[in-house]
Amino acid sequence: MTANRKPVISMRGITKRFGGVVALDGVDLDAYAGEVLAIVGDNGAGKSTLIKILTGVYQPTTGHVELDGKRFTMADHSDAIANGIDAVYQNLAIADHLTPAQNLFLGAELTRSYLGMNILDNARMEREATEVLRTRLGVELRDMNVLTESLSGGQRQAVAIARAVRHKDLRVLVMDEPTAALGPQETARTLSLIKALRDQGLAVIVISHSLDDVFEISDRIHIQRRGTCAGVVETADVTVEDVLGLITGARATAA
Amino acid sequence: MSTATTASASARPNGFIARIEPYMGVLGPLVMIVMIALFMGVFEPARYFRLSNMNQILLDAALYMPMAMAMTFVITQRGIDLSIGSVAALSAIIIAFLMKQYGFPAWVCVFIALGLGGTMGLINGLVITRLKVPDLIGTLAMDLVYRGFALVLAKGLVLARFPDLITEIGRGQMFGILPTPVVIGLITMVAGYFLLRTTHFGRYTIAIGSNPEASEMTGVSVDRHKVYAYTLMGAMAALAGLMLLGKLNAIQATSAPYFNLHVIAAVVVGGTSLFGGRPSIVGSLAGVLLLSMMINALVTLRIEFFWQSVASGVVIILSVAAYAFLQKKDRDGAASLSAALANPDNRKILSLVLTFAAILAALFAIGAVLATPPGASG
Repeated sequence: MTANRKPVISMRGITKRFGGVVALDGVDLDAYAGEVLAIVGDNGAGKSTLIKILTGVYQPTTGHVELDGKRFTMADHSDAIANGIDAVYQNLAIADHLTPAQNLFLGAELTRSYLGMNILDNARMEREATEVLRTRLGVELRDMNVLTESLSGGQRQAVAIARAVRHKDLRVLVMDEPTAALGPQETARTLSLIKALRDQGLAVIVISHSLDDVFEISDRIHIQRRGTCAGVVETADVTVEDVLGLITGARATAA
Repeated sequence: MSTATTASASARPNGFIARIEPYMGVLGPLVMIVMIALFMGVFEPARYFRLSNMNQILLDAALYMPMAMAMTFVITQRGIDLSIGSVAALSAIIIAFLMKQYGFPAWVCVFIALGLGGTMGLINGLVITRLKVPDLIGTLAMDLVYRGFALVLAKGLVLARFPDLITEIGRGQMFGILPTPVVIGLITMVAGYFLLRTTHFGRYTIAIGSNPEASEMTGVSVDRHKVYAYTLMGAMAALAGLMLLGKLNAIQATSAPYFNLHVIAAVVVGGTSLFGGRPSIVGSLAGVLLLSMMINALVTLRIEFFWQSVASGVVIILSVAAYAFLQKKDRDGAASLSAALANPDNRKILSLVLTFAAILAALFAIGAVLATPPGASG
């Protein structure tokens, strides 16, 4: 299924050392448009380091990242955003005392000129935020004029995701433990939201500890173990036990 | 706040308190303003509600409006500035010298004062963001520095009699009826409101106070906007110094000693949260008016000046405690005295209090028994 397609983003031979600690050792990763790639692995297996390199937060010690087959380097996270790569972090990075629209545009506010001054265009930001939430995520908030602290966990996450997908040229979305803090209903909604984003042609990379969620949404699974890739499998071809075996090392390699 | 509403709100988290919570900043001071007005209406209506006295209250409040506006930004960013009294005094002293000894034109000195104040605020901001000194210690130390410079410059001198422009700023009348300082104060308040609502600085001030890490992650320059807030604070403190200079037509190194806590009290009473992220410019205005009414009431009642300090402190504690109580969503049934006494921690604290009371009472008794007529010994 993936053999005849070109990956949007590839990581090649990524090694990352923190002092004497080798967090990642020669990891390859490919992500395709319109596909959900899950990254699973035990604590300390290198999942977070891997996505932090992918989103420009860390720079690899050796190895490189390719976008559409071309090598490029990222000095920081804003380079990643400029290249159409963004992440939704586990803690969502939301300011609770701002409204959803204000959060959506935080750090990239829309302005208009008024008497020669650039002032915030609050009305347009609210309009566009409503639009992004509705058309891209299918989320309709009852009232856009409330503080984000009053929203439910799932709604807050929708705001964080909307902040990433607001960029029209977003191609790769990384999500770190999107369902960790959610109840069953909100988890189901978030998973369907991820599927919707995949169907819109994004390459979605999801880090998750919940194998139930991974098997429900992912097309492929990348298993990390002790800083190396223990295998990449097609979700449809494997069972939960297979994946668990690869995570714990009970099975040496992918079938 | 009656006990009935508290009880019903604790039963239903989305009840009365939740609905009025966004307006508490204005409602709280308004209720207290009405209470003061009622109280004074009963005890001293003639002297308190005279037009000249109302004018006096407004004039006093005007002095604090620019600083309360700026302090709203500083506190919303989870900061604090304890140096504003000294900033006001030092910038006023410097321009007083420039005008009296060097004959600088008054209008230039007005801008020099604002620039000096802004620079002192900028230094505060750099001390906090670059040298990583916590705001409380950093601004307290800079308070000593600025006050020290003022004392070095002015020694014990009182500089007095300044050009008309200065006294116009401090106690003039616009269009015959509006006191100039009140106009200046209200303009800064309105400007602060738009600064908060329609600029990046205002938006990031809330974001930084709400979640500094998230702001940093989304590309907000946290340190730069903190420096902006302290710079604004410094400039507004200097403006207040200028207004004070004009109001008294005199200045000395020890002027403006109570600015810090008075302004912080006004802002906190107005509902701006000390924990960051919740500004209320309108609340700060209400807080300034409330404090001025309160202090004027104390004066009208011929209560000794030094009680003002006590009253300001009590108002700060009461309002912060009230907001902390309102913020707490899970009020459980700890209201009854017997329930509180069942808690072993509370019992130990109670016994500590009683022990102290007993020891002090004993010491006073011993002192009274052994007392000799003053002056008889040594």
